[in-house]
Amino acid sequence: MKKTLTTLLALASAALAAGAIYSMVSAPAEPSPDWRMHITNQQHALLIVPIDHAYRVSAYLITWAIQLGYVAWLAYRWKTQDK
Amino acid sequence: MKRFAIGLYAAAVVALLAWGFYQAIYVAPTDAMQGDIFRIIFYHVPSASVAFLFFGISLAGSIGYLAWRRSRPDWAQSADAWALAGAEVGVVFCTVVLITGPIWGRRAWGIWWVWDARLTTTLVLWLIYVSYLLLRRFSAGPQVQTLAAVLGIFGALDVPIVYMSNRWWRTQHPAPVFGGDEGSGMDKSMLGPFMWNMLAWMAWGILILGIRYVVERRNQVKTAREAEKALIA
Repeated sequence: MKKTLTTLLALASAALAAGAIYSMVSAPAEPSPDWRMHITNQQHALLIVPIDHAYRVSAYLITWAIQLGYVAWLAYRWKTQDK
Repeated sequence: MKRFAIGLYAAAVVALLAWGFYQAIYVAPTDAMQGDIFRIIFYHVPSASVAFLFFGISLAGSIGYLAWRRSRPDWAQSADAWALAGAEVGVVFCTVVLITGPIWGRRAWGIWWVWDARLTTTLVLWLIYVSYLLLRRFSAGPQVQTLAAVLGIFGALDVPIVYMSNRWWRTQHPAPVFGGDEGSGMDKSMLGPFMWNMLAWMAWGILILGIRYVVERRNQVKTAREAEKALIA
């Protein structure tokens, strides 16, 4: 039971970390620095919404990846103490 | 009864975290200047607060260990376990701060990292406590706990420096939202979600701090038993 829980926590942590990296890597490309010459402020605001969203998702996922990874490590330490 | 109370607390913490997430995503309005990326504050700032608090617990534990190591060995061992637990869980939360901060910075500033006072002192704080954990992990002998306690006390001196860094020096890091100059603060519509997340992460931190303390106390008992067996043999 304890081994299964530890494994599940470690897998969840790895999956969240992978999700965080994927979210950032798959974010749309940022507008070029000279975007003001090509698009309006309103168009720019619409363009950056999905990028901000992807980065925010990434930050939340990586937070949980770290926290659950640490809990998995604690569970592993607890299990090895029982032996 | 004790197990039931711990289970109940853990369930309450999970509920609080879920509620905090709901508040951060669905209740807090989108920031007019920063857009959606500002919501990182709901994880970043509470993590920093919890890290500071736990480094404070590590400081208290370290002082306790040095004060009681000869007069009250049992108390000293307990204090040492709190010092280690505080440092380790503090490092976990500080790691979250050092990763979520640059993710926000990449969108807000256009760069991942800048060597300004707030970021640099936070990185130094993290490095001090990582070295504390490495000292405890890889050193052996009767002096390890004493050396770690001294390092824990000096490491904690960086906490007020980190906290005051964007008050003392001009930094690229945003000015303090709370306790800053006139005009600082948070809109009421965002303050509620922020406080819920602060409470949720604090409760979560206390839960894993407690677990880490118990793990260390079990480890101390196991080590003492092994030492006793070795002496008898």
